[in-house]
Amino acid sequence: MLKFDHVTKQFGELAAIDDVTFEVKPGIITAVIGPNGAGKSTLVNMAAGSYGVTSGRILVGDTELQKLPKYRIAHAGLSRTYQNIRLFDGMSVVKNLEVALVPPRVGSLIANTFGLSGRAAAEERRARCHAVLERLGLAAYAERQAGSLAYGQQKLVELARAIVAEPRVLLLDEPAAGLNHGETEQLKQHILALRAPDLAMVLIEHDMKLIMSISDTIVVMNRGRVLAQGTASEIRTNTEVQEAYLGQPGAIKDIEAAARGRRNRVRIREGEGLTWHQP
Amino acid sequence: MENPARRASTPPVAATRKLWPGALAMLAVPVLLLIVGPHLPAYPLRILDMILLYAILGLGLNIIVGYAGLLDLGYVAFYAIGAYSWALLASGQFDIHLPFALVLLTGASLAGFAGILLGIPVLRLRGDYLAIVTLGFGEIIRVLMNNLDGVTNGPQGIARIDEAHLFGWTLSTPDDFLYLLVGMLVVVFLFVWRIQASALGTALSAVREDQDAARGCGINTTRVKLVAFAFSAFIGGACGVVFAAMQRFVSPESFTFWESLVIVLVIVVGGLGNPFGALLGATLLILLPELLRAYADYRLLFYGMALVIIILARPRGLIARQFGPSWLMRRLGGGKC
Repeated sequence: MLKFDHVTKQFGELAAIDDVTFEVKPGIITAVIGPNGAGKSTLVNMAAGSYGVTSGRILVGDTELQKLPKYRIAHAGLSRTYQNIRLFDGMSVVKNLEVALVPPRVGSLIANTFGLSGRAAAEERRARCHAVLERLGLAAYAERQAGSLAYGQQKLVELARAIVAEPRVLLLDEPAAGLNHGETEQLKQHILALRAPDLAMVLIEHDMKLIMSISDTIVVMNRGRVLAQGTASEIRTNTEVQEAYLGQPGAIKDIEAAARGRRNRVRIREGEGLTWHQP
Repeated sequence: MENPARRASTPPVAATRKLWPGALAMLAVPVLLLIVGPHLPAYPLRILDMILLYAILGLGLNIIVGYAGLLDLGYVAFYAIGAYSWALLASGQFDIHLPFALVLLTGASLAGFAGILLGIPVLRLRGDYLAIVTLGFGEIIRVLMNNLDGVTNGPQGIARIDEAHLFGWTLSTPDDFLYLLVGMLVVVFLFVWRIQASALGTALSAVREDQDAARGCGINTTRVKLVAFAFSAFIGGACGVVFAAMQRFVSPESFTFWESLVIVLVIVVGGLGNPFGALLGATLLILLPELLRAYADYRLLFYGMALVIIILARPRGLIARQFGPSWLMRRLGGGKC
């Protein structure tokens, strides 16, 4: 569904993403992991059109996303959440969702404004938003100002906004960051419930417990490259991953640096491979 | 934490469409104006006309500044384009005498077109930078009017402008203009309210709140902003035509930066993005200097002080954004909107 095809991203001399190729399949949850600076967020930002691509192609179906202006990427069926919440704070929760359903053609927008057309469609859009809010347990907050909600609820509203247009690809950029244990558990249930045959989900996360428990496949990145891909147990025992992390002194520093800045601890024991766990 | 079940049980879209008390409450204002207005003496009536004119200008500017969050400090340019349209197309200047309705449409459209022309180069700008460019645009139009002697008669301005006739009705006294302005106010008010409540308004709000995230949600921010500029400028232009018809004299002096500032103040003091705010703001900003006339030299001092106090006391304006017409309708049970 979502395909990175020999994608490279240079920031000056630095190749943040270096010839990355992998495919995200519909119906499953694909996690992308790796230490800070591995290029996970760069990948998401390129797919969503926030960064340009130096070379290579990013495809949703047959559509080449890197050729589209940013707003068209949403219409191509890709939507995302942000690492740092980016809601429309001054607007009500339901209006936040309606933004994702605004008709793409400006002509029809103007016609709607004059009441010439689209009344029924507007009602339907509103109903869709309420249905999604209901589904994520946010119905009570529909008319509240998005910026006034608690952090965890804002994260959920962002998720709601990302799914209301029924995307084919959903990019979740650290959805659990800053959530407490209960909220993370709730989020996990929502994400699992979203799994659908025609939806490809990409999860970028540092919470290894969450990743190991819900991902169908895991892509490990390091220094802009894909190191390995496989199921949770395959990744845990993958010798390449172990070698890369344990065999190079520099890589260990990367991991440790990543661990220091996070709530997660990285523990490396010989023979055990790589495990992250919650403190 | 609230109990989600409690509020979730009420249907999301209120389906009650009984008495429209909300609509009636809003309708009371223009009706009252039409009843009381004509009985006022000439001087207060003239002030009332100016209040209405600035209220309409405020409603128009609100589309750009209040809804889309783009600070436009050169709104007077569109007003000037409208005013000079009537002055040039219905006067002895070139001996052209077009009907008022036609010029109202032409002048407003010209202004709307100018709005798009201004919009294109400033699409990438926001905040301070946008404000400076629009301010420059306002000045350019004024300086142009001042220097195109052959066309606009330069600083002397254009006098002997035709009396306006609208479908056989002569517009000459302040009474006549009161009727016209109240009519325009109602139309423009309904229009900007529709914008706010429609998908276009949702898109504009998203642009205001976080342009990048709006793009990520599929909003064509470029187009949407241009539409906002065009609509806003169109209303400004229409006001200009009426202003010229009312004064029957235009000169560049009427279109200084001060005018742009007053219109911005109308909506900032009244409440950004709130149509009610524009009405209240215009009332206050036009009435206040008149009430302070007795203090002659200190007038502007008191005027400024009053504005500072208002903004300090109510930083989001006298009526905050969310308490707009849609809110009133919900509160009074006027059906869905």
